[in-house]
Amino acid sequence: MNTKLSAGLLAAGVLLAPGIAAASTPSCGANTGEAATGAPILIGGIHGNAAPGDFSSATDAAAAYFSCVNANGGVHGRPIEYMVENDQWNPELAARAAAKLVTDAGVVAMVGNSSFVEMSVNAPLYASSNTMAMAAGCAASECFESSNIVSTNQGPLPSSVGAAMYAVEELGATSVACIGLAIPSVGNWSCGAVEEYMASKGLSGASVLMNPAAPDVNSALLEAIASGADSMLVNLPVGLGIAYFGVAQEQDLGDVYSWTSSTPIYDASVPGALGDYWHGKVYVSAELTQIDGDGPDNLNWQAVMDAYASEDDPRDIFSQSGYLAAKFFVETLMDMDPAQLDDRAAVTDAIKAINGKTSDLVCGPYYVGEADRHMPNHAGIIVVVKDGGFEKVRDCFEYEGACFDGLIEAEKALGLR
Amino acid sequence: MQRLLPYLGYLGIMVLAYALFASGKPMKVAGLFLVSGLAVGSLYALGGIGMVVLYRASGVLNLASGAIGALGVMVAWQLQQWGWAQPITWGVAIALAAALSLVYGRLIAPGLAWRAPVVKAVATLGFALVVLGLTAFAWEDDVRKFTLPTDKAAVMILGLRVTVTRLIVVGAAFALVAGIWLYLTKTRTGLQMRALANDRDLSAMIGVNILRVESIAWGIAGVIAGFTGLMFGDLVRLEPVVITFMVIPAVTAAICGRLDNLGLVLMGGLTMGVVESLLTLSPALKSARPVAPFLIAAVVLIVMQRGQRLLFARD
Amino acid sequence: MTKITPSGWAGTIFFVVMILALPSLSGGQWIKIFTSTSCFIIAASGVAFMYARLGMVSLGQVALMGVGGWIMLRMNHAFNLPFEINLAVAGGITMVFGWVLAIPALRMRGLYLALITLMAAGGLEVIFSTYRFPNGGTGFWGVMPSVAAPFRRPAIATSDAAYLRYVMLATFLGFALIEAHRRLAPGRAWAMIRRSEAAALASGVNVIYYKAWAFGLSGFLAGIAGGLLAGGLGLLDAATFRASESIMLFALAVVGGARFWLGAVIAGVLYRVLPALFNDWSLDADLTLVIFGAALLHAIITAPDGLSGQIIGLFSKRKGQS
Repeated sequence: MNTKLSAGLLAAGVLLAPGIAAASTPSCGANTGEAATGAPILIGGIHGNAAPGDFSSATDAAAAYFSCVNANGGVHGRPIEYMVENDQWNPELAARAAAKLVTDAGVVAMVGNSSFVEMSVNAPLYASSNTMAMAAGCAASECFESSNIVSTNQGPLPSSVGAAMYAVEELGATSVACIGLAIPSVGNWSCGAVEEYMASKGLSGASVLMNPAAPDVNSALLEAIASGADSMLVNLPVGLGIAYFGVAQEQDLGDVYSWTSSTPIYDASVPGALGDYWHGKVYVSAELTQIDGDGPDNLNWQAVMDAYASEDDPRDIFSQSGYLAAKFFVETLMDMDPAQLDDRAAVTDAIKAINGKTSDLVCGPYYVGEADRHMPNHAGIIVVVKDGGFEKVRDCFEYEGACFDGLIEAEKALGLR
Repeated sequence: MQRLLPYLGYLGIMVLAYALFASGKPMKVAGLFLVSGLAVGSLYALGGIGMVVLYRASGVLNLASGAIGALGVMVAWQLQQWGWAQPITWGVAIALAAALSLVYGRLIAPGLAWRAPVVKAVATLGFALVVLGLTAFAWEDDVRKFTLPTDKAAVMILGLRVTVTRLIVVGAAFALVAGIWLYLTKTRTGLQMRALANDRDLSAMIGVNILRVESIAWGIAGVIAGFTGLMFGDLVRLEPVVITFMVIPAVTAAICGRLDNLGLVLMGGLTMGVVESLLTLSPALKSARPVAPFLIAAVVLIVMQRGQRLLFARD
Repeated sequence: MTKITPSGWAGTIFFVVMILALPSLSGGQWIKIFTSTSCFIIAASGVAFMYARLGMVSLGQVALMGVGGWIMLRMNHAFNLPFEINLAVAGGITMVFGWVLAIPALRMRGLYLALITLMAAGGLEVIFSTYRFPNGGTGFWGVMPSVAAPFRRPAIATSDAAYLRYVMLATFLGFALIEAHRRLAPGRAWAMIRRSEAAALASGVNVIYYKAWAFGLSGFLAGIAGGLLAGGLGLLDAATFRASESIMLFALAVVGGARFWLGAVIAGVLYRVLPALFNDWSLDADLTLVIFGAALLHAIITAPDGLSGQIIGLFSKRKGQS
């Protein structure tokens, strides 16, 4: 208890270097301190790690949590065998990975999936094989529009709507330019929702979509300027986002516009890469709560990572997300009849029955339910880039917009409201 | 007059693009896109110039120049993280790029000297993959930024702030065109290089030291690749894969100069940048605007192959 | 005319054995890998034959596969036609694309021809990454922001294993098509053109016509390959068809050896099976690039006829000794 408190005090305020906080002992599963034995329960996970970006932190965190569970009595005494595949951002490899895990190895569920392509490719397989995927890093709309995938993260749509809300409510924006990728299920989808939100408030919004293949971000900036906006919402992957802020700095626009961004910018190395120029100017909508938060789950995440993950594994928002997916999954298995742990259909039913799980890592309750669409996480916080780190400027708030109406109905039906 | 025609052609394309997409817009807006396009186009041109210099001297279209430049700028970034003085890191990056280029030029290229140009080009792709693979392995994906002191200073041109770094790129492109022209026409090695480009067998027979001349060419190409890598790392993105595949627009610019004429490479590169940038003003075409360089290069190839004569007799 | 060469026999036996054995011996993930390998073998056979028969280098083959795949998906989601008709349309339209590509390319040779195909590949990469592949949405581009609508596989091959057999049979037919061309009038014309365009022209060969034919055939094979690839997953992603992938496929066709059917098979295997093996051995994906690059350099420097040339050379040498 004492150590937790001191870690909490340490963590308050500034974003700490990974690994300093939380010397406390991690708490996992049954927490017996004894290693699990017997036949393993097979679980799969797919991440994308190749040229455009490394999405492996979610499966790294899930793997760390599962190791911790295995060292602490396992699930009803049995260990979890977590098999992770890399789709390398390639749809064929994604299909191959899912075939290997679901068809060949016969995993009972997928946990911690984090990829740009995997969900779009494999959603039909998950549905036809009655496998649930408790993903942690969904990036495209397909991922949220599937009956058998549910993610702990938000994806670009809620995250950018949150950023737009903050721009309007706190930064006085009347016209927001949303700069996204020209990919229908990513940029058009999420920036489209920002435009809808702005229109619903009687304000104006514009989408500036750039081709991911283009080396030139200058003309996207100019296009955003030409749109007549007074606020810019950067909704890009982190590398392109940094490039965009770079050309904006070149034009010295830091004080001309108000600046917000969706989650990808919330990464410990970003403040350094952005430089002093942007400090205090960029407001980021975070999908999960602060990396240095002092809630019990956040401290336990840090402790699990310190004890069971490699030091190089990033401690970012997708790591939190992967940890949370793994934790909710293990809790679900622990509540099941031990005889049914190898029965995929039973595991799928148990996951679909998840209702109202809470954690200090997410603002709202986590639930699954029987639906064609899953997006339990649609409330978040706002942080600002400051002093080489991030500082929270707004606590949990729920995003507004017509696109969330269906979710709110579903939550009412599940008794969560 | 005949020689000026292609330059006028490129100018015509730019004017046409301006008339089509920017005519209705206020000068203030159109000027921004024009200047921005010139800035981006000069990056394409810089990449293309490096390729053409080597191609003329050795017959190798070096697809590895981007990968070499990427490794150079990553090393420079790493050394800066370790606290080295900036000018030294730039020097190391350029020296490393030159060394890598020389290694390929001395060890691998001579063995392929008699193969078809396209096979030589594909072989450099093999080298590019090796260099890129090692670079990506050494520096895991992360957010990085490479800056030069010249990023801080800027001048206003037609309402757009243009940093000194961008001016350096434009200046370097012009200086390279002029410098290489002087080198090829005024020096003895330059003359030998031209001889080699014209007829390798004959040059060998009349006593041109092929290895030496080619090594110089590979060295120069390496220095240009290193410099280009630093500029791309600053102005495009500090990501090895992105910088490596900047060779594709660079090839496009090189085609605009028929792989032969540095002045046209520069002009073609600028045209590509301007057209691409002005396309942003067209609501219908803006999302597919990176197609512009490829279309221009294709048009250039088609226009240049009018008539019966094979324009590219040297191949 | 109809005599089957030893290499032809070997190929036929190889494919019969593979079609019979491979699907039943492999697990789910390997069936997926072999299906896409087979598709890329078809595409590689097109590049290889252009290179070996006419000395023409195409750096746009994978982009053309993308065209075929796009049409396949467009047809599938727009009309309720059988798979085979969609596939034929995909092959046919891609063949026309090949011809269009051939118009500026006809007077060019070597590197310049290669570069114009690369420009086409670069342009198509942008188009694919901007507009994506149809997944059942409305309008011309047919893209919707949710999971793809179902894809209809051939009625006789709905399971993954049966579909693999189907694709392998198509691969065999593709090789047979190339072989038939080689033996008939186009093949003789191509052989003349390869030797000397001037001589071919002098002896009355319509050089432009037969060159365009070659482009069309290669485009047709790419279109079929793309259409079959679309059937493998039921959807396609722009990342598969980058310009760099087209360059890579040509490079591997050279590594495999363009002159022999085995070369295209080796190219496909290197392109798809090797990375999967590396993945199974948990080697870093970046290091596979290094190994790929080194293998490419090695093959170009030491084996002009590629690996298949070395393998076939080994066999004929043994035959000569006995």
